[in-house]
Amino acid sequence: MAMRDLVTGGASCNDSGSSSSSNPLGSLANALIGSSSKTRDRLKEIPTSTSSGSSNQFYSNSDEQLTALPGSESEYQFNQHSAGQDVGFLHNYRSASHSGFTEAWDDIQPERESNFLESRHIYNEGFATQTQQSWDGPPQKILSGFLHSFVDSSRFGAPFRPTALPMLGLTKGEKQCIRNRSSIMARHFFADKSEEYINAQVDALLCSLDIDNDIQLKGPLPGRVRELEEYWNESQGLRAPVADGWVAEYRQNKPELFNPNGWANLFEQEHGPNGWASEFEHDQAQAVSLNQSNQHMSRLAGMEQTRILAHTLAQNNDPKFKNSRFLQFVSKMSRGELFVEGNQVKESSISASGDWGAEYRQHHDGGLSWADHAREKELLGDDKWVDEFSKLNVQDWVGEFEHQAEGAVGEDIMDSWASAYDEYLNEQSVAKHNSDSSKGVYVFSDMNPYVGHPDPLKEGQELFRKGLLSESVLALEAEVLKNPDNAEGWRLLGIAHAENDDDQQAIASMMRAQEVDPTNLEVLLALGVSHTNELEQSTALKYLYQWLRNHSKYGTLSPEELPDSLYYADVARIFNEAAQISPEDADVHIVLGVLYNLSREYDKAIDSFKTAIKLKPHDYSLWNKLGATQANSVQSAEAIDAYQQALDLKPNYVRAWANMGISYANQGMYEESIRYYVRALAMNPKADNAWQYLRISLSCASRNDMLEACDSRNIDVLQKEFPL
Amino acid sequence: MPVFKTPFNGYSVKFSPFYEHRLAVATSQNFGILGNGRLHILDLSPTPSPTPISELTFFDTADGIYDVAWSESHDNLLVAAVADGSLKLYDLSLPPQQNPSRSLPEHTREVHSVDWNPTRRDSFISGSWDDTIKLWTVDRPTSVRTFKEHAYCVYSVAWNPRHADVFASASGDCTVRVWDVREPGSTMIIPGHEHEILSCDWNKYDECLLATGSVDKTVRVWDVRSYRTPIAVLAGHGYAVRKVKCSPHHRNMVMSCSYDMTVCMWDFMVEDALIGKYDQHTEFAVGIDMSVLVEGLLASTGWDEMVYVWQHGTDPRAT
Repeated sequence: MAMRDLVTGGASCNDSGSSSSSNPLGSLANALIGSSSKTRDRLKEIPTSTSSGSSNQFYSNSDEQLTALPGSESEYQFNQHSAGQDVGFLHNYRSASHSGFTEAWDDIQPERESNFLESRHIYNEGFATQTQQSWDGPPQKILSGFLHSFVDSSRFGAPFRPTALPMLGLTKGEKQCIRNRSSIMARHFFADKSEEYINAQVDALLCSLDIDNDIQLKGPLPGRVRELEEYWNESQGLRAPVADGWVAEYRQNKPELFNPNGWANLFEQEHGPNGWASEFEHDQAQAVSLNQSNQHMSRLAGMEQTRILAHTLAQNNDPKFKNSRFLQFVSKMSRGELFVEGNQVKESSISASGDWGAEYRQHHDGGLSWADHAREKELLGDDKWVDEFSKLNVQDWVGEFEHQAEGAVGEDIMDSWASAYDEYLNEQSVAKHNSDSSKGVYVFSDMNPYVGHPDPLKEGQELFRKGLLSESVLALEAEVLKNPDNAEGWRLLGIAHAENDDDQQAIASMMRAQEVDPTNLEVLLALGVSHTNELEQSTALKYLYQWLRNHSKYGTLSPEELPDSLYYADVARIFNEAAQISPEDADVHIVLGVLYNLSREYDKAIDSFKTAIKLKPHDYSLWNKLGATQANSVQSAEAIDAYQQALDLKPNYVRAWANMGISYANQGMYEESIRYYVRALAMNPKADNAWQYLRISLSCASRNDMLEACDSRNIDVLQKEFPL
Repeated sequence: MPVFKTPFNGYSVKFSPFYEHRLAVATSQNFGILGNGRLHILDLSPTPSPTPISELTFFDTADGIYDVAWSESHDNLLVAAVADGSLKLYDLSLPPQQNPSRSLPEHTREVHSVDWNPTRRDSFISGSWDDTIKLWTVDRPTSVRTFKEHAYCVYSVAWNPRHADVFASASGDCTVRVWDVREPGSTMIIPGHEHEILSCDWNKYDECLLATGSVDKTVRVWDVRSYRTPIAVLAGHGYAVRKVKCSPHHRNMVMSCSYDMTVCMWDFMVEDALIGKYDQHTEFAVGIDMSVLVEGLLASTGWDEMVYVWQHGTDPRAT
């Protein structure tokens, strides 16, 4: 039970970038006026400044080029300075445009004019200023190493795992930049992978860099969109009469430039102006990519319909209606928090921040049979109801409901709906529980020598006390294989895994422990901490809250019913009350420390852990938590002291060794960090996170020669190269 | 064979159309995801020397550079496609502080591709992630025209080598479009691949042939007169094909590079189309070019920060 990879990054990062552009409108205006006048000056300067060259004709004969260039849609006035012949040309051009082409063009491209303005806005906070921002030093090295492992992940087929990174101080513009570009590029790297896989990879990247993925500026591929066809057919139609006129007129002005049998026109004559379009339309109908946008569209359509329904329902003043869970369900759907897919009601991934993790892991496990079983079970149960719901034509349904509501006979139906919905909710909660644990499928070791041991639990406890973590894991596995209902066995197994720096297995064991003993406080606390480590805030809050609910002293502090969604502030408030009731209870301070880590109030978290340490000075895991928090708040030097305390108390504490490495890496001391990672990995080669950190440190320290040993997990070679 | 190490990740390499020993390399920090960019102007040593490639000069930008194109009319002029949405013109005859000689910030997203018109020589086009293509001339501070039909990022644009007003564009909307700047809309849409199309280039000998490279790992060659089926599908890359380039010397030769880190040479008219495979890069190979002035001289760059220049048929790494 330890805490290491608490969320880091720029939540507290200052918006220094935005302050430089504090008046975006003003700077925009300056940029526009300034730049255009500058370019004008340059227009005049350049020909003379390059006149020494032999082939400098490209500026000076600009007038001719301007006239020679067909297809210009521009009516900007800047070319007034050009010679007289231009005026004639422009005049002709303008009179030609009166034939309607310009209007037609503007119709097609309404936003053409605004493009220039917008261009200053791209990533303005990062890049508005022309001054070179320099990307150097440790943050650049960390970012570069990290992005490198992201890019690499496309090749090795290994899913990219979210990783805690020190604060890089990225500005909003830079974050937006990373988000947009990485999601476009990832679609190229991961050519073979599904859309969900790619999204999971990008999410893992963004999550680690503390970048929200809520606004997708450049969404997934639009597929071949229907609008495009219509637009195309329209513009095709527009074009025939208007454009031809324009072209003809233009041709009269500049006949020598044109090959009267325009090459491109030939094709058209060959295939007919619309022949290919219908062909294309046909092709498009079969295009696979259409499915996706269709799915999205149908989801939106569903939302619209349910919104109508929700609106109708909301107009009824009956308090029963207001409290109706069915109504809540419908309004949830209309807000897009739930949606019907196929014949299943699903929670939208945007509703909970932790959901990506679950999704990702299901993927990671290759959709392990466990999760599938859970879903199958669930299907047997609530499938019918959902099926009915989705089969209903919602529009009809709304009509019917309105009709019945007017006649005030709808109550019975309402009741049966409500009970059906209750049923659904119950099933849903079971399913949710199942899917929660499906991401934590416990993986047993092969070849366990302790299977058949007369008392593996005792042996495991003994080994754990001696600090032989990997050995004790084996013994405890033997115990829970023998007695799957032994909560203590699972709990200790979870703790051993956590101390061994293996959060996945730790969570899996703790979940099994909680299944057997749902109110075990230590288990709940451990689950809260592990989920905090894995950056899953909502799940972490859930367990910490349950810890409080089940605590004999503080259970009364919290409201009777567990609310659907936990708000961080509420939970923190209740724990602060608990701390006031019994200031000498170290556990409360520990939970508070964890909570403050979730909210990234590291100073408060450090205080809480220090208070807890005063009460429990020999708890090595507390020293480790303190260290991790200090590391997160950029006090890496202090963190190393705290980890050292933990290691003095427990020399085989793999996690503390790995954490030491992280602290050194955060200070840019990559060589040192490598030694600590290697030490941790020598003790537990299964610590996946540590391998990833090691890889980053190796590339940051320019030790690419050892990357192969790292990738093949050859710990002997690494130990020889990096002794501690 | 000459090798050059760039501080940032390589994105594009282009031989000068005027000097056989000169090339430009566009690079971006952090794989172009975040950070600065640098444009290198490199000179090959004409005789064997300890430094086969020397750096003539370089230019820094505040965002990554994704592509570069030499002017076809002026030996010192080149244009860079920058990730901040601007195109920047550099004039090597100007002192460094006067460069870039012009910045053209019109695209609303990253500019991914730029191509100089080889027949008219007075204009160039740019393709951007804002789904548009823009037509520019060196004498104007704003674009001449915007072509907006693609439904997703435009990754590549290429002028036709014979028809001065015709160009092709490749997009993430899985289509290649052929345009005539005298026309208001595209004149042809080729739904060329099932996946995003990252690159396109015209055959230099047959103005009706077009090569495309896609995320679907294939290179395809199309005859625009009958574009329903490709005349060749070249399979052999293990990952998305990032760039295709048609040989300036052999009608049937196509060069390609890929996220599988290799550079491939193809003869699309024979059955065993793959005629050469180079695996000098240790990261994604993303930039390639074939010299117009020296037959068989190839160049490549990649995210391993290396630039290789070598003669076709030889080992790029051999020293």
